[in-house]
Amino acid sequence: MKHILLSFSIVLSMLATAPVHAIQQYLSADAFLAEVFNGQVPKPKLLWLLKDNAKQAEQILGHAPNQIRQRYWQQNGVTAWVLEEIGKEELITAGFVVQANKIVQVRVLTYRESRGWEVRHPAFLKQFEGLMLQPDRHLTRQVDGISGATLSVSAMSRMTRLALYLDALVAQESQS
Amino acid sequence: MRKSNLHLAIRLALFSSMAMLSGVATAGAIEDKIDSLQDQIDQLKAQAANAEKSSGGINGLSSNSMLGGYGELHYNHFSGDVPAGKTRAKDDVDFHRFVLFFGHRFNDWISFKSELEIEHSNTENGGAVELEQAYLDFNFSEKINAKAGLFLMPLGIINETHEPPTFYGVERNNVENRIIPSTWWEAGVSLYGELAPGWKYQTGLSSSLSAASFEKFATKGVREGRQNVAEAPAENIGFHARLDYSGMLGLTVGASVFTGNTGQNDDLLNGADARLTLWDAHARYQVDKFDLRALYAQGHLSDAAEINTAFTNVSNQVAEQFYGWYLEGGYKVWQSGDQSVIPFVRFEKWDLQDKLASNTVKSTESANEVWTVGVNYLPHPQVVLKADYQQFDKPDGNKGDARLNLGMGYMF
Repeated sequence: MKHILLSFSIVLSMLATAPVHAIQQYLSADAFLAEVFNGQVPKPKLLWLLKDNAKQAEQILGHAPNQIRQRYWQQNGVTAWVLEEIGKEELITAGFVVQANKIVQVRVLTYRESRGWEVRHPAFLKQFEGLMLQPDRHLTRQVDGISGATLSVSAMSRMTRLALYLDALVAQESQS
Repeated sequence: MRKSNLHLAIRLALFSSMAMLSGVATAGAIEDKIDSLQDQIDQLKAQAANAEKSSGGINGLSSNSMLGGYGELHYNHFSGDVPAGKTRAKDDVDFHRFVLFFGHRFNDWISFKSELEIEHSNTENGGAVELEQAYLDFNFSEKINAKAGLFLMPLGIINETHEPPTFYGVERNNVENRIIPSTWWEAGVSLYGELAPGWKYQTGLSSSLSAASFEKFATKGVREGRQNVAEAPAENIGFHARLDYSGMLGLTVGASVFTGNTGQNDDLLNGADARLTLWDAHARYQVDKFDLRALYAQGHLSDAAEINTAFTNVSNQVAEQFYGWYLEGGYKVWQSGDQSVIPFVRFEKWDLQDKLASNTVKSTESANEVWTVGVNYLPHPQVVLKADYQQFDKPDGNKGDARLNLGMGYMF
């Protein structure tokens, strides 16, 4: 019983001294964009997801997209996207950079789940580089999983597919 | 001629007037159309703004709340030999687990996580409604976070991650059922975080098992000692710790331990401490189409002789030491879009009476080996249909030495 009280005291004292801010934000969206565009961040643009495009996005995500007007940043053929998707219980916020229909970079910006943080490690994210979208809107290569982080890995894959699809829509719009 | 010119002029004037009137009417229609389109755009934008405000929430929940779940249905066909004097169990079908997750985030560093389960479909035929998780999660930093409440013990591979699409076989493996008593939860506090890139830890204090409830130890181990935090004795506490390394792509290796007295000052046990120490070492390697898992678990129980003296039922005799291990390999033979087919094979070996107290006779059923061969078909990454065949080295209880299992499962 003494031990239980002691452990509760330790946790309570940690709560009292805890810095109250979102700790698992590894990189802010602004910092991510500044990094992508070397400090010269272009003004954001809006891509509307309506009708068929919304249906395609829904097929990729397995649910209706959170945003029907998706913000993105574009400069010199590069598009950058900040997307959110639920892993198991919480939203994962990730940044995606696409150029010439290929993933150039993926970063986990905020991770809120209590398990599966490994998805933010460079060793895991590196395998997304160079991935493209197949005609059936799946990735050109399978993403290796992480033990205990199945749903987080799946969420990262879905967001990657969505980023590539959105980039393709932007390219289509600029051609028409 | 003058007359005809006049007629022509009148006709031209009338035509021009009609044309002008027609033009006015067309312009008016276009303006109406533009107004109508503008209204529709405004409505669409309002809908979009509302949709974005509620994004992150599911099925009408607030954006800070989350609903999820998993479930699994099993069919078991028992065959082969049964031990002498026993009658083979009838085939059965069971909606084994129906689980709902509910979570809520209070702010950017405090959240609540819970898991409510209905086992075996109802409470009339041996089923139960169980609160498997209900804890507050405090996010302090990458290195230190805390959970307080009722949570899963961080042992082995299956106990914390057991949604049906995440493991092979209709039934969970035997070692993480009989040696590590999955699903196992206790109440307590636990710290967790990342010590260095790739190095994860969890450690804390919790309630403990109750040795007075150990039953059929030779086949179930400490499983029946779980109290499920249901008006449970709290005379003893347990300590748990876990360390995992996952710094290399696809590889996770780790170890975990639980130690604590389980006597709970129970009068039945005459004051025996009954310290239980349970530990495991585990590894999983997922690369390309391969998925390999290995786990070794071992348990030690002190005062086994005293416990056995106290127990009047011979089938409840406990052991001083018990162990089990398994190796499992899966290979994705086919994938198309979201769908995949993964055959697997697993070998398990265990002995729940590896070392016995002097006053105990070893049961013929305590040690066993089993081969499992099967396939998981995932029509979607979160949906699975399973089939497997299991061959036990010795007849297992009244279920024979061979089993065919079919099942389906999901998670969201």
